[in-house]
Amino acid sequence: MQFVKAAPEAKELRRRAGAWLKELRGRAGLSQLQLAQQLGLKYYTFVAQVENGFGRVPTESMEAWARALGVEPAVFARRLLSFYDPELHRLLFEVKK
Amino acid sequence: MTVIAFESKLPQRDGSWRAGELKAIMDSFAAQLSTGEAGGWDVGATEIGDPQFYLLGPLPHEDCILCISRLDRIYVLEDGAGRVLFEHNSVATLAERARSILQKKKAQIAVRATLLWCAVREMFKEKLDAMAGEGEELLVHFVPQLAAFA
Repeated sequence: MQFVKAAPEAKELRRRAGAWLKELRGRAGLSQLQLAQQLGLKYYTFVAQVENGFGRVPTESMEAWARALGVEPAVFARRLLSFYDPELHRLLFEVKK
Repeated sequence: MTVIAFESKLPQRDGSWRAGELKAIMDSFAAQLSTGEAGGWDVGATEIGDPQFYLLGPLPHEDCILCISRLDRIYVLEDGAGRVLFEHNSVATLAERARSILQKKKAQIAVRATLLWCAVREMFKEKLDAMAGEGEELLVHFVPQLAAFA
């Protein structure tokens, strides 16, 4: 049984999450600066950090990100969970009763 | 809240670090990188070409633990959750601060581990004392009875 996700997989998933967020931002017609403004951040650098696949959207600010990007918060959180913690996502949403 | 946007006065904003900047950053994290406390590092850029340096945590996840960005003439230090930890116009000062933040973090972890160890040891000691006390009570109770049989 494998308990620890292989490093390349975790990094690759985070990178894909970043690409998805960038795509959402593009669809919403926002620059990184405008998104940061909507999120109440002092700088726009964190948006770049997340979109480049190095940082994660913190759980406590997922709702704000979702609303700023025009996505329903539950859908947004569920999709991010599939990238950030695929095993938990599988247990919650994919395993049949 | 107003996000600070920097209009560059520099001729180029190509998302790359200058050699001297990168050296100052790398020098300050050399210890963390050599001991494995940091899993590695990488660079990237914002969409308008501000360079970013990411210090990554240990394997397997290698999440970003610190991020340094250069926005025109100011350097910004953030953690992996986007909290701004420090801002300065000297990369050397900022890198030094980043190193001290990591050292402080490490010391905090060591203190927490020591406290946990002391708590566990104390708990075991209490349990052992209680068991020893029970043993003594049993002896006091049974020895006279055994003596009567003898």
